[in-house]
Amino acid sequence: MRIKSWIALTRVSIMDFMQFRLSAFVMLIGNIIYLIVIYNLWKAIYASVDNATINGMSFNDTMIYLVLASAQFTFMEAYLVWMMSRSIQSGKIVLDLLKPVPYSQYLLFGLEGGNICAFVVTFIPTFIIVEIITKGYIHLGINTLFYLVAATLGMLINFAIDFFVGTICLYTQSTWGINIMKEVVVLFLSGATVPLAFFPETLRKIVMFFPFHAIYNTPLTFLTKGPELSLAESFIMVGEQAAWVIVLILIGKIFWKLSERVITVNGG
Amino acid sequence: MKRLGFYISIYRKIVIQDIKSKMSYRSDFIISMIGMILTDISELAAFYIMFLNFPSVCGWTYHEMLFLYGFSLVALTPLQCLFDNNWQLRHYVYEGDFIKYCFRPINVFFYYISEDFDTKGLGQFFVGFGTIIYAWYKLKLPVTFVNIAALIVALFAASLFMVAIMNIAAASCFFLTNSGYIMVTMNKFRDYAKYPVTIFPIFFRIIFTFIIPIAFIAYFPSLVILRPQNIPFLTWFSPVYGIIFFYISYKIWMFGASKYSGTGS
Amino acid sequence: MEYVIELKNVDKEFKVLNRHEGLKGSFQDLFSRDYKIIKAVNDVSMNIKPGEIVGYLGPNGAGKSTTIKMMTGVLQPTRGEILVNGKVPYKNRTANAQNIGVVFGQRSQLWWSLPLIESFKLLKDIYNISDKDYKDMLTLYESLVDIKELYSKPVRQMSLGQRTLSDILAAFLHNPPIVFLDEPTIGLDVSMKAKIRNLIKALNKEKNTTVILTTHDMGDVDALCERIVIIDKGTMLYDNDIEHLRSFFGAYRTLLIKTKKHPEELTDDEKKAELDNVEAIVKEAFADKEFTFSSTDEGWCSILIDESQVRLMKVLNHIQEKIKVYDVRLEEISTESVIRKIYEDAENMKKAN
Repeated sequence: MRIKSWIALTRVSIMDFMQFRLSAFVMLIGNIIYLIVIYNLWKAIYASVDNATINGMSFNDTMIYLVLASAQFTFMEAYLVWMMSRSIQSGKIVLDLLKPVPYSQYLLFGLEGGNICAFVVTFIPTFIIVEIITKGYIHLGINTLFYLVAATLGMLINFAIDFFVGTICLYTQSTWGINIMKEVVVLFLSGATVPLAFFPETLRKIVMFFPFHAIYNTPLTFLTKGPELSLAESFIMVGEQAAWVIVLILIGKIFWKLSERVITVNGG
Repeated sequence: MKRLGFYISIYRKIVIQDIKSKMSYRSDFIISMIGMILTDISELAAFYIMFLNFPSVCGWTYHEMLFLYGFSLVALTPLQCLFDNNWQLRHYVYEGDFIKYCFRPINVFFYYISEDFDTKGLGQFFVGFGTIIYAWYKLKLPVTFVNIAALIVALFAASLFMVAIMNIAAASCFFLTNSGYIMVTMNKFRDYAKYPVTIFPIFFRIIFTFIIPIAFIAYFPSLVILRPQNIPFLTWFSPVYGIIFFYISYKIWMFGASKYSGTGS
Repeated sequence: MEYVIELKNVDKEFKVLNRHEGLKGSFQDLFSRDYKIIKAVNDVSMNIKPGEIVGYLGPNGAGKSTTIKMMTGVLQPTRGEILVNGKVPYKNRTANAQNIGVVFGQRSQLWWSLPLIESFKLLKDIYNISDKDYKDMLTLYESLVDIKELYSKPVRQMSLGQRTLSDILAAFLHNPPIVFLDEPTIGLDVSMKAKIRNLIKALNKEKNTTVILTTHDMGDVDALCERIVIIDKGTMLYDNDIEHLRSFFGAYRTLLIKTKKHPEELTDDEKKAELDNVEAIVKEAFADKEFTFSSTDEGWCSILIDESQVRLMKVLNHIQEKIKVYDVRLEEISTESVIRKIYEDAENMKKAN
């Protein structure tokens, strides 16, 4: 039964996470400090202009966006590329391939438990703190449900990209370089470092053609612009994400199938 | 002094060998370099986009912020190039491999740190250097001997602070188990050095000045060149303070190492 | 100077924090003063002459590494006195390091990414070896092992055997009066072990280097050591030359019997059952006598008999009356059984107390 092995893998990864409770706690503290820095930085930035909103983003919008983007990063980023490249270099990948589950699923469900735990331990507390500080600025309603769906899809997109990049590591020894490039491109083009709303018009249009904005920008828009979105708009946004998930997973699978041969030839 | 010459000559030989062996993995070398430069450029792009929307940050203009950023990148180079092995320290300590550094007739800290020269840092240096020159030109700063000398002294002091902070963070693994997050958190703090410290409330300003002195990394030294008419008194001490702080970090590191093996030498 | 190493009543205690469980426990530990004291080395004394090869033996966790760390100056003894080359090692670790060579387990001390010869050149500088001594040493190495082909190979790409070989050569490079070898043959195949042993022996002969060797491999002891020191749970059990050791247990002989036609095909459980059966038979007849029973890898039953208590032939006859014996072998006591016997006696003494 496929589902059974998925659940088993998820459970193991949750237990794994539990062993590092202290580091999860520190992750949360780090996030709160980040919150304070971001709060002060953007307060200073907004203080230098007369209007309260820039490109449709108020101070609260920007701050919530960035803090939650960082919190979302802690539960979404599972360092899959590191993991894959390390097991490729140590030859452990051969053992992983012997498991009775396709490698991509083995990785996905092996990481998912950690993602869920990090969501509970870091994202939810950060969310609550933000909600208290901004006195309930984030609208709670159907948009939060949409956020959960969009965040899950965003995580799948992130996973598919990671899996694709991890596969590249079969061909090159440069683990660090590949990793850092992926991280920079994804974080920048997804709007995790600077909200996409601030991007110049043409750049924003180009970025929209890539899947990256669907990882951070789409889910976070549900939280910052929740009530302004119509149901139809919301479904279109989620639909676009779903389309990206399907396309990227397909591409990743095909690339992996073509590359698997490298392992069988070289013996890992 | 004879001892110093001895160490320099050994260090030079180790580094030359290390660079040679790294160059032999050419594709890795190039990809890592591109990755490093890309990281810095994405940060520059973030600055650029921010200043498209906002004219200034807390009275700091785009080019002044660029100067600050370029300055912090160049000051980061020694840490990245020479002290990168600190990131591996906790693995050596947990797995018991650190002991191997204790059997040689040379200083343990020197021996450990000399083992890795991280060539990626050079990419960072060039981006930072280019940014400083660009900002210098745009800000129409005068090119005088005093200014250049001040820049060099300030960069030197800033590097000492960067290295010292990460030395202490790395040494925490001698005292605590599972200390990886301290490195990561400190590294994040170090990253805030590129913002003017005045944007923070007074409580954090005190912390960033005296406890985790990241204000000395880029902010205070940059003032010397950017706002020479209005420099906080403390700034003049930053080279001295930097040397003291570095020395303290070295002592903590060595104390940790001797605690690890149980001897006081 | 008569001795290169002198240990006088050396103790080493470690303070260990009693760790608490859970998140709350981790926080408690940050401030806790709840220490317990563990005695790793207890009243150890020995004197070692120049040029000796001493086997330093004991089960895992016996305190071997701790003693070696004290002799290398990395650890400071809690009590007692250590002199290495006439100096106190921990008081000046770096000066002491100049006069010793160390190979510590499988942890290569060479530069991982550098070709071997570059590591050697760096060591030449670090230890201030003169050009002539360096050249002579390499010539000696080249005459002993095929090292030349390894010179240009980075340590990272070497096999475990090649790496161990290189590490040992690196430890002897500055011609120190003393070399410490911590389990140098661990994980190596038979021919590589022989190669390493020959190398150590030759270097010891050539340079009159004192070698302190810890190992679990009795082959190392038989091939190299004239003298052995045995330690268990921090306490010294034995210190004498190896001939004396064997004669000390000279009355002991080992009887090996084959109780099945093809005992090598038995599973471990079945081997154990065979042994238990034999043990029961022997103990029934000679209840007041002492024996040590064990199974060999080939499935033979091995019985260590003290002939001053009971004749071996008598035991064999009795067994043969009870069960069918396919084959019989007699052995003088091996170093391995002697050492196991020493551990067991110490254990029994403790129980008796």
